[in-house]
Amino acid sequence: MAGADGGRPAAAPPACAHCGEPAVAPLRAVFDDGPRVFCCPGCAGAARWIADSGLGDYYRWRSAPGPRIGADEDFAAWDRSETLDAHSEAEGEARCIRLAVGGMHCAACAWLVDKALRREKGVLDVRANAVDGRVVLRWSPAETRLSVLLQRIARLGYRPSLPASAEREDARRRERNRRLLGLGIAGLGALQAMMFSEALYLDTTGSMPEATRDAFRWVTAAISAPVVFIAGAPFLRGMVNELRLRVPGMDTLIGSGVLLAWLGSVIETVRGGPQVWFDAAVMFVLFLLAARHLEAALRASGEARLDALAGAQPAMAWREAGDRLEQVPARELADGDVVRVGSGDALPCDGVLLDADARVDEALLTGESTPRRRLPGETLLAGSLVHGGTVRLRATAVGAATTLSQVARRVDALRGQRPPLADRAERLARRVVGATVLLALATGLAWAFIDPPRAFPIALAVLVATCPCALALAVPAAIARAQGRLAAEGVLVLGADALRRLAEVDTVVFDKTGTLTRGEPTLLDVALADGADLDAAAAVALAARLEAAVSHPLARAFGAADGAPVDAAGQYPGDGVSGRIDGATWRLGRAGFALADAPAGDDGAIWLAREGRAVARFTVDDAPRPDAQAAVAALRAAGLRLAILSGDAPSRVDALARRVGIDGSTARGRLTPAGKLASVRALQADGRRVLMVGDGVNDADVLAAADVSIAMAEGAALAQRQADLVLGGPRLATVAEALRIAREAKAVIRQNLGWAIAYNLAILPAAALGHIGPGLAALGMALSSLAVTANAWRIGRRRPEANP
Amino acid sequence: MNVLLFLVPISLLLFGAAVAVFVWAVRSGQFEDLDTPPMDVLGDDDGR
Repeated sequence: MAGADGGRPAAAPPACAHCGEPAVAPLRAVFDDGPRVFCCPGCAGAARWIADSGLGDYYRWRSAPGPRIGADEDFAAWDRSETLDAHSEAEGEARCIRLAVGGMHCAACAWLVDKALRREKGVLDVRANAVDGRVVLRWSPAETRLSVLLQRIARLGYRPSLPASAEREDARRRERNRRLLGLGIAGLGALQAMMFSEALYLDTTGSMPEATRDAFRWVTAAISAPVVFIAGAPFLRGMVNELRLRVPGMDTLIGSGVLLAWLGSVIETVRGGPQVWFDAAVMFVLFLLAARHLEAALRASGEARLDALAGAQPAMAWREAGDRLEQVPARELADGDVVRVGSGDALPCDGVLLDADARVDEALLTGESTPRRRLPGETLLAGSLVHGGTVRLRATAVGAATTLSQVARRVDALRGQRPPLADRAERLARRVVGATVLLALATGLAWAFIDPPRAFPIALAVLVATCPCALALAVPAAIARAQGRLAAEGVLVLGADALRRLAEVDTVVFDKTGTLTRGEPTLLDVALADGADLDAAAAVALAARLEAAVSHPLARAFGAADGAPVDAAGQYPGDGVSGRIDGATWRLGRAGFALADAPAGDDGAIWLAREGRAVARFTVDDAPRPDAQAAVAALRAAGLRLAILSGDAPSRVDALARRVGIDGSTARGRLTPAGKLASVRALQADGRRVLMVGDGVNDADVLAAADVSIAMAEGAALAQRQADLVLGGPRLATVAEALRIAREAKAVIRQNLGWAIAYNLAILPAAALGHIGPGLAALGMALSSLAVTANAWRIGRRRPEANP
Repeated sequence: MNVLLFLVPISLLLFGAAVAVFVWAVRSGQFEDLDTPPMDVLGDDDGR
């Protein structure tokens, strides 16, 4: 340890005036406001250029030091016509490209990039957005080359690259704009149409001259037309599609309701009839659009994280080629390539860290945004953000093989899959659609005999009032919200029905090592047996070699192994490991396993034995996670029964149970995986619904057997977990939070379904008997849809009493 | 009631104008980024 610190000079080097990093070989340059110190010629050059260009304000406004400027990079690849064609759009003589610019995180950076580019010849327009780190650049290829402009950005220390999912971003933006336009037109039009309808309503005594009345009606018809046909186009298009496929659904009902109300009103206007229902048509469209917009926003909040997963792997990467750096598309990287990633950038591939340790932010996969320190030799994951300093890594998995891509694919596959409950609700809604149409027809027919002029409005009112829109929204809205909230907590839902099962759980079973504890055991004590012919360090080294072949967390306690791998290595879950070293059989594990003449009982220690004779006794302990106690308390407060199943020594399991506050009688140690499985099955036979929380490495079967399972996944193993939910971060308290969200979602779904069905049933007789006009019916129906969507927003809202 | 002859067309014109402005606003990306423009104001404090 001392060696690592010893090399540091006594006085810290001055910080670079541009990038803030220590200037080990300081360069001094004199500026208008005095001398400045720089770490490298790149930074000095950038600062000189910034000052000479009159952009010195950058240094006053920036909120963090600038990016360090590396060696000159080659962007010539960007000038190739196929690159341009693939990634930029021609706009007459000009071209337009959307760039992701690494390191551009604050408004001052965006300002600097903006100004710097505008100074270049041939640049027509620049829009730099610091929030998403994107620059939209329009330039004239006749006057300049794209590589020159990118070079300009790079010389300021920012790293231009292609956004990973341009199509997805574009599609999302267009979709959002379409929705906004529809909603705006519907809102403005409905406001006007309602105003004119109001004038007609207020004429309660029928004293308005017919000419005035008809004029008002025609104006209303004209204003509501764009609402119905432009803003309402999604419904009408949906109706056409559904009718073409002969599966009448929600849109058929909405579309026909709106069209009937509008056309019927136009006919009445022409005929000079007593009543028009333009108000019903516009209200129907406006409120349904509002409900859909809300639902889309709800979904977007959940999917933003998933899109972040998909877009996190940058499209371009810097690869070392000899002593040069070349920028290549990330998918052209191969295993073994050495890749360089600058501070603030995302890793383009999984890889082993080289040279120095680094701080990386793995929030994307773990939800934990505090950067973690990684040591050389550790594997970093694609999509992690690099903090402070450039890292070099050797690629181990690229493109679709990265952990990130695998997780994104699993989550993406699940996105298409609908939970059974949502399916049931939709089937029900579909059946209700048929019933609604029949009911409306029957009511219309009945009234045609009773009071013919009222037949149409009453049939229309029934059609609109009984529209099961709320029913169709009830489940998807709640599930989208719950998954979005869970994603924000760092929990990925991987099982289609996992939320429902999670909500019904009444018992939580924890694995111990790596779940309740950090899974980073430390070696507390080494005691050599009498007559041992080696010293403590040698015993530890032997133990490390024996454990090297094993992925058990305890292995880490003995540190890294050196020397050849052991022969005939064997692993005995719940017992220990064995192997042959220098011709002798060594065993490492609990006393009963390692020693030929083991004392009765289990002392909780780990023994190292040669040919059954004790050599050393290790005391290993593993600290509980800092929030284990709080998590246990929260789960207990939620009314759950808790248990621990562990392969570890009973004495240690007991001690841990006491420390975190779990009843010792439910904590069982020395269980083999089969024993854990049997315990879970026994609980289930008692009628308990079991949530198993494990680390997912040694307990895959147990996780699969439980009613629902959560894996504490950190880092590389994330993609392989076979659990219903994966907890990305190291926070155990998230289990309680996930449970709370699942339960709330269940409650909200029940409320929503109950409300939607009760509303439709209650409104039906009133509409059929002619007590509710089409306008009121539209209002009620739309408000009921808004109510279920708004109700879904409540899921996962933090309550003050829950978070004191 | 003759006042309606002016008021109704005026309201229609205003409606048309409002829709046109809204369509322009959405098309030109006014709603795309609601976070950066406020920061611009902070930056340009020297009347550059």
